[in-house]
Amino acid sequence: MSEKPKLAVYWGASCGGCEIAVVNLHEKLLDVDAALDFMFCPCLLDTKKKDIEALPDGAIAVTLFNGALRTEENVEMAHLLRRKSQMLVAFGSCAKGGCIPALANFTTKNELLNTIYIDNPSVDNPGGVIPSGTTSFPEGDIHLPGLLWRVKHLAQEVEVDYYIPGCPPESQQIWNVIETILSGDLPPKGSTIGCGTLTVCDDCDRTKEEKRITSFRRNYEFYPDPKACLLEQGLLCMGIATRNGCGAPCTKANMPCTGCYGAPEGISDQGAKMVAALGSVMDIGDTTGLSEEAIAGRVDAFLKTIPDYAGLFYKYTLASSTLGGKVGR
Amino acid sequence: MKIGIYFCNCGSNIAEKISSEAIIAAAKTFPEQPYVTIVDFICSEDGKLQFEESLKLEQPDRVVVAACSPRDHEATFRRCLINAGMNPYLMQMVNIREQIAWVTEDPAVATEKAIGAVRGAVMRVTLQQPLEKKQLEVCPDALVIGAGPAGMKAALSLAEAGRSVVLVERTPFIGGLPVRFEELFPALECAPCMLEPLMGDLLHGDHAGNIELMTMAELVEVTGFYGNFIAKIRQKPRHVSLHECIGCGECVEACPAITMNVFNSNASERKAIDFAFAGVLPNAPFLMEEICLRYKAEECRACKDACPMGEDVVNLEEVETIVERRIGSIILATGAGLYDASQIAGMGMGTLPDVYDALQFERMLSSTGPTGGEIVTTAGNAPSSVAIIHCVGSLDDDHKPYCSGICCQYAFKFNHLITAKLPETTITHYHRELVVPGKEAHTLYKHAVKNKNSCMKRYDGIKDLAVTVDVSGQQQVSAKGDAAPADMVILCPAVIPAEGAGKLSALLDVSRDSFGFFRELHGRMDAAQSTIKGVYLAGACQEPMDTRSAMLEGMAGVGYTLAGLQPGRTLEIEPINAEVDETHCAGCRLCVSVCPYRAISFDTEHNASSINAVLCHGCGTCVAACPAGAITGHHFTNEQIMAEIEGVLK
Repeated sequence: MSEKPKLAVYWGASCGGCEIAVVNLHEKLLDVDAALDFMFCPCLLDTKKKDIEALPDGAIAVTLFNGALRTEENVEMAHLLRRKSQMLVAFGSCAKGGCIPALANFTTKNELLNTIYIDNPSVDNPGGVIPSGTTSFPEGDIHLPGLLWRVKHLAQEVEVDYYIPGCPPESQQIWNVIETILSGDLPPKGSTIGCGTLTVCDDCDRTKEEKRITSFRRNYEFYPDPKACLLEQGLLCMGIATRNGCGAPCTKANMPCTGCYGAPEGISDQGAKMVAALGSVMDIGDTTGLSEEAIAGRVDAFLKTIPDYAGLFYKYTLASSTLGGKVGR
Repeated sequence: MKIGIYFCNCGSNIAEKISSEAIIAAAKTFPEQPYVTIVDFICSEDGKLQFEESLKLEQPDRVVVAACSPRDHEATFRRCLINAGMNPYLMQMVNIREQIAWVTEDPAVATEKAIGAVRGAVMRVTLQQPLEKKQLEVCPDALVIGAGPAGMKAALSLAEAGRSVVLVERTPFIGGLPVRFEELFPALECAPCMLEPLMGDLLHGDHAGNIELMTMAELVEVTGFYGNFIAKIRQKPRHVSLHECIGCGECVEACPAITMNVFNSNASERKAIDFAFAGVLPNAPFLMEEICLRYKAEECRACKDACPMGEDVVNLEEVETIVERRIGSIILATGAGLYDASQIAGMGMGTLPDVYDALQFERMLSSTGPTGGEIVTTAGNAPSSVAIIHCVGSLDDDHKPYCSGICCQYAFKFNHLITAKLPETTITHYHRELVVPGKEAHTLYKHAVKNKNSCMKRYDGIKDLAVTVDVSGQQQVSAKGDAAPADMVILCPAVIPAEGAGKLSALLDVSRDSFGFFRELHGRMDAAQSTIKGVYLAGACQEPMDTRSAMLEGMAGVGYTLAGLQPGRTLEIEPINAEVDETHCAGCRLCVSVCPYRAISFDTEHNASSINAVLCHGCGTCVAACPAGAITGHHFTNEQIMAEIEGVLK
């Protein structure tokens, strides 16, 4: 048995992108392997749940837990890994703030199941069966973990030591974190690591001017000027209200930041902050002499150029936001 | 941390709805264990004394005063803290009178609300920090832009108060528009005579030494802020020394180059070197370089040779200069102009020979004007019929939606003056709404109504009117096809901001409304202040107004300057303002455009915004807007606000 500290990478409700980001360490993986015993990762390795259960508590030095908590199984694994790990890291935006899986919180669990199993043109379900737990069919039983009534992020279920943002976290930042962990020189518990302390604007080298925005445009409508600030060009770039450290790869590729690194240091709600910021630079022209209706009309016309507020502003943080989601089961 | 709660009964105002015993009991459950003192009238002399003595005795770290609105007595209680040796910003007021006692029926509910509000204040006040006011030395002098009625009045009054004033005027003369008029409404006073004492004092009076008058000059750059502006002013060459010229006019006689005189609405000729019009002040001619033969590469020095006052009066080599002046405040008095009536179809402006706008007609009425005061048509005859059309472009959504306010009054003045000069001439007023407010304007109106030679015709929209010439050559006005002869037509176009307001607005960052007038800080409360601190608005550059209002607004600008900027005194900078944490600013520049007071600038070297504490009003807009959370609103930090909300909701 290896004497090296054990490293686990686990996934909850996730897309696998975080594992890809780990694999994107390329030859650095050899360094990881040299320093740590990379012993659990369902996407890459054969270790099973029972192997983890067999370990003494605290046997794993570090678990990088990615994905949100959607099912009872996710919750069970979160508790198991918490118990077995000295350090549990919420790895990536799903584990940190719910991310895409948590957008399901805009609807209820029952509506969701209804859409999947009953009211769906590509589904033929004459019995109206919604499988959950153990469900019997003529062909045999199927076992499915139950859905939570709403999607959670990791810290809503277990104590989390550190957070690493990103969808997925940038590979160079993963390496930075691993180096930090190996060095033992860690910031206070609860800190967000593997990122910067400013906003994406600091990583983005586009020219920024004063901002007055008359209306928003969608990406497909035009080719943005590659040098000027995308927000000033009318693209809903979340960079202003997003923690930096990614290196701004999206704006460098002429695409607006969608906010995957979450709220900047000291900001509790990324979506609300974005709304406050945009409200301040919304330019509806001179309203002198206009009636209240006419002014309201201009505001409406401006707001109509923003499609899907919640999905845009809370894409990565809904589970951890003040907004929360739809109330009800 | 020791916290003291001072609960004011406000007689029965608060006491009959909110139980002080319940507040005392609730305070015992707060983790901070504050002490509670009940006072009957804490704002009374006895109450304040009791408050101060108690503060000295108890020496709390933070204080909560549960009483009335901070609008009433926050300043009072802050002074009490100072008297007790405490920093005044370590107190939080809770408005349990207006916001709770007066508006809540049930005493039990009121008491419950009050406990919540006090708990919020206690939680907030623990996070409050001592703040210090800063002092800044200021320049008490002023820059006045525009030497019309408003600007002259302001400049002279400031000079009388001992302030140095730089008075910048774009034209070669002072007096603005009315100095070019013969008589003014409502009392038919001779305009140049009425203005002469003011202009005389300005140029040669006891306090003229405090006024630096720069005619033919314009502002080109302003930096700095309230109390410390640096203005750069372009002085164009007049080519005639204002100090040495005695205004004899010998040079005018000698000058061979001729053009049309714009100050007579191009209705008369002038020489390249000439007076703007007869009787103008300062009494000196000016040289129009674009007309002068020397600027067409010809050798000519006829004017210089003709001058009896010597070689130095006419300076043909004079060039443009830029001068720099330090001032504390700026009064904008750039005045108004008239909407171009040729933009309105059917009015005949610019196409028919005997259609005049009001300014052209004022010059015709003036004894210093192109006709020496004679009312004559282009053909040289006295008109037997005159039509005066009101509301040309005013109250009209296709042109200017506002009422210009002064036109009806000067139209009735025209009625009076035409009848005085030409008793047989008929006058028709084509009007929409009639606007003659105030205690004086009705006299001219009634005169016009009673004038047997004049009649009023109401029209609905300017499209219903047409000024035409019939086959016989007779000029006429038709209203919905009903034509009446009008040998002369006088249009009363909408009053608009004078040329150059846009440039000034960009230069000073002073915002304008959709009509182009400078925007006031508040339309009712602060109509003479612009949105930029230390930049005041006077006269028709703010909205259409008459001489009387313009002079009053000039005095308002004087009042602000005298009250705000006193020699030897420093400017107190309110510590409740916003500050950028440069280490957290990512340089998105969002805050810069959000600030209504232009207090935020961007430092490209450090790639961070910074806030000028003198200009910041502490409104908090940038704090809310900053997406990086890099701006702190002192005394209203996010932590303080959240703590208060949490306390109230607990």
